[in-house]
Amino acid sequence: MNEAKLLVVRDLTTTFHTPTGPLRAVGGVSFDLEQNETLGIVGESGAGKTVLARTIMGLQPRTNVEVSGSVLLNGFEVVGASEKQKRSIWGLQVAMVFQDPMTSLNPVMRVGKQIDEVLRVRLGMDRHAAKARAIELLELVGIPSPAERYCVFPGELSGGMRQRVVIATALAGSPQLLMADEPTTGLDVTIQAQILNLLDELKGRLRMSVVLVTHDLGVVATRSSRIIVLYAGRIVEIGSTRDVFARHRMPYTRALLEGSPKISNPSHTRLLAIPGRPPNLANLPRGCAFAPRCSYASDRCREERPELEPADEVGHAFACWHPLPLTQKIPA
Amino acid sequence: MILLVAIVFIISVGAFYLIHLLPGDPAVVILGTGASPANAAKLNAQLGLNKPIIEQYFVWIRNVLHGNLGTSFISQTTVWSTIKSAFPIDFEIIVLSQILAFATAIPIAMRSARKPDGPLDRLLGAGSFTLLSVPSFVLIVLLVLFVAIKLGVPHTGVSSYVALGTDWITNLESLALPAFTLGIGSFVVYYRVLRSDLIATLQEEFITMARSKGIGQRRIMWRHALRPSSVSLLGTAGVNIGGLLAGGFIVEYLLSIPGLGYMLIQSIGTSDYLVVQGIVLVVSVTVILINFGFDLLVNIIDPRISRE
Amino acid sequence: MSSSLYVNEAVEEAVQHARPERKKLGVLFWICVGWLALNLFGAIFANVLPLPNPLFQNYAAINAGPSLHHLLGTDDLGRDIFARIVYGSRVSIEVSLGSMLIGFGIGAPLGMLAAYRRGKFDAILSAIMYCFLAFPAIIATIAVLSFWTPRSLFKIIVVVGVASIPLVYRVIRSATLSCSTKDYVLAAKVQGASDGRILMKELLPNIAPIGVSFLLIGIATVVTLEGALAFLGLSVSPPTPSWGNMINESLAILQQNPWLAIFPSAAMCLFLLCLNFIGDRLRSHFEVSEVKL
Repeated sequence: MNEAKLLVVRDLTTTFHTPTGPLRAVGGVSFDLEQNETLGIVGESGAGKTVLARTIMGLQPRTNVEVSGSVLLNGFEVVGASEKQKRSIWGLQVAMVFQDPMTSLNPVMRVGKQIDEVLRVRLGMDRHAAKARAIELLELVGIPSPAERYCVFPGELSGGMRQRVVIATALAGSPQLLMADEPTTGLDVTIQAQILNLLDELKGRLRMSVVLVTHDLGVVATRSSRIIVLYAGRIVEIGSTRDVFARHRMPYTRALLEGSPKISNPSHTRLLAIPGRPPNLANLPRGCAFAPRCSYASDRCREERPELEPADEVGHAFACWHPLPLTQKIPA
Repeated sequence: MILLVAIVFIISVGAFYLIHLLPGDPAVVILGTGASPANAAKLNAQLGLNKPIIEQYFVWIRNVLHGNLGTSFISQTTVWSTIKSAFPIDFEIIVLSQILAFATAIPIAMRSARKPDGPLDRLLGAGSFTLLSVPSFVLIVLLVLFVAIKLGVPHTGVSSYVALGTDWITNLESLALPAFTLGIGSFVVYYRVLRSDLIATLQEEFITMARSKGIGQRRIMWRHALRPSSVSLLGTAGVNIGGLLAGGFIVEYLLSIPGLGYMLIQSIGTSDYLVVQGIVLVVSVTVILINFGFDLLVNIIDPRISRE
Repeated sequence: MSSSLYVNEAVEEAVQHARPERKKLGVLFWICVGWLALNLFGAIFANVLPLPNPLFQNYAAINAGPSLHHLLGTDDLGRDIFARIVYGSRVSIEVSLGSMLIGFGIGAPLGMLAAYRRGKFDAILSAIMYCFLAFPAIIATIAVLSFWTPRSLFKIIVVVGVASIPLVYRVIRSATLSCSTKDYVLAAKVQGASDGRILMKELLPNIAPIGVSFLLIGIATVVTLEGALAFLGLSVSPPTPSWGNMINESLAILQQNPWLAIFPSAAMCLFLLCLNFIGDRLRSHFEVSEVKL
């Protein structure tokens, strides 16, 4: 299959220059993304997921940030591109759904105008055509009475509705890649499922690739074809969803899996929290970043940082000196 | 609404009593200081000034509510006509100064907000801070010194003011100095307020979202950032313009421009009670209306506020 | 363009590990304090300083430019400008400090009490004060001073001071209101502290920054006001020098004598600039939010 890959990321590193010294939020991330594929990026808060997502898009802050490596989106090199150049792909080839719909919509601008802005400004559509398309999009994301909703302000909508509007806005330019940064974290649990299902459906219908960033493994379990596990800004495990869930090798992945609640567990099963706290990205320990919290850690882990090693399965890799044996499975 | 009326009422009482509590006798002013007490008393009776104060107040208020602000003892012209001829001048000065102030403050604040702590921003910050410390009359004196005298630009005087209708070029010329002076003062305040608001707004997530749609800098500034940042600006503008009415008086007086300020100060000097009362009342009501108007404007710009 | 939402917790944590620095006051701050101190010194010790007589009219040197003999030149009556500026600072300083003494001396305690006690006391007092506030103060000041002749520095201080009482009252009252709802006041009350103790020990230190900030603004405003009054002929009577008087006088002779316009203006503006700068620095040092006037 020689279809050109949609996204090729090589050795992406993002460093913040803070008053107290450099802080490496993302280190040496590499992966590929095909067309119509969904990739999940999981990790705890503070693991660098948001920074990674924004850096991939080129949306990192302009001051005091250094990015190295390469991000090829449809052949366009994002790293090092000027703001003006990046603008040519933003909205039309790649778009982002942000975490908090309360703050990601302009509170004093009507919802419809925010949705069709891309159409009017980037594609030069006239007002009426843009409005019509915006109403179509509102319908697409499941908002009732879309024609009326066109004129409302974000404050008049509920959280779930607002997030749908954000999705509609992102989709307006028909991007091939949608970056979804914790799209449901701020919402009610009941709404979360709705939004995720919506994204699923849209992805199929519009033939988009989606990068789904989340701290919740449950979210990506059924919705992504591949998963990246991120820890302290580095990939510690990457593979197909099945491999990561059933044949993971890195203890951190195991810990994450054990930490998420499962319907099949007997009631009142204790959630296993991972002991310790995520590392301080400005002061990373030598060796494996997870070592201080890992029950399998040895001296080697503390001294030498493990690189990604391929596992037996194709496309599966992990970074650990003491990978878990394959026979251990967690109950599905 | 009721509050407005109450405030205006209180102000009218205040204006009235204040003027009347002070020494100063219109009769003496009219007849001259050499007038005999008997004649002065007779004139006072004629003018109705020997009645008890409270009665005088009610006479006045009743007249006002019928639209009659009285007739000046001194000049024998109605207070209303004095105000009518003087008000447009103040109005024009203020309008011109605000056009200047907004037209410069908004784009320049945007420039600064885009690169906070950059060279332009620092320069403007220091400059505006310095200008804040320069009182308007000092500014006028310095401006007159450098512009009018060194550059030979004709400046103002009562005779040189010409109404807008007759000759708009001379009109603008004669009002240029006061408008510019007040404009600078306003510019400094607006610039600082808008700049800090813009910087705060630009850090919001929805700006990043707009950026992620590929929207250019200019549009983001004007279409996305300006509106939410305008709330403080408009609030400040309301207060500022209200203050300009009073503060502009000094400037007017200095340059001998026959606006309300000039008239007010003249009439205080001649104990021309009715004129003073009338002007104070009109000015206060105007200030209140302006503040009210700006509150309305803020509600339109930012619907969040009316919803709260 | 940075967004605090974006830079995640880890970054914030890293930054926090560094010692948090209180904003330093800086060299410029102390220079400004020094300048103000110099002005104050000049005002207090003017009599003993080796200055030419500010009232002496030297007809041999009218409108002279700066020279060794007359450091900043002379005005149209041959009087030394430098000496007049130094003596003039007396007026500005006395008026501003005097009126602020009255304004704060009466307005502040009333404001604190009203905010603390609330109830009828507060309601009535505030109503009265707000009535006074509604009336344009400048006009009232102008009117009163026009009629209360003969003019003297004392009268000016009294009028401006009294006029400032409602303003001080409002600021102190609202500051006290916002402080008194904070937890530490409730804690003190629960512990049985007396009202006086609470006012002095808990509220006062927290209102002080706002009070000082407003005080500085007040001084600057009054100095400016004196200048404005001078233009209306309502400041101290000539030949007493005051900054406002001098600037006013300069207007008539601008063509012949630019120095009378420039130097007193510079003196006044530098004074105000230093005041504003100090106020600004103190505000950011103590992180006091902008006082609503």
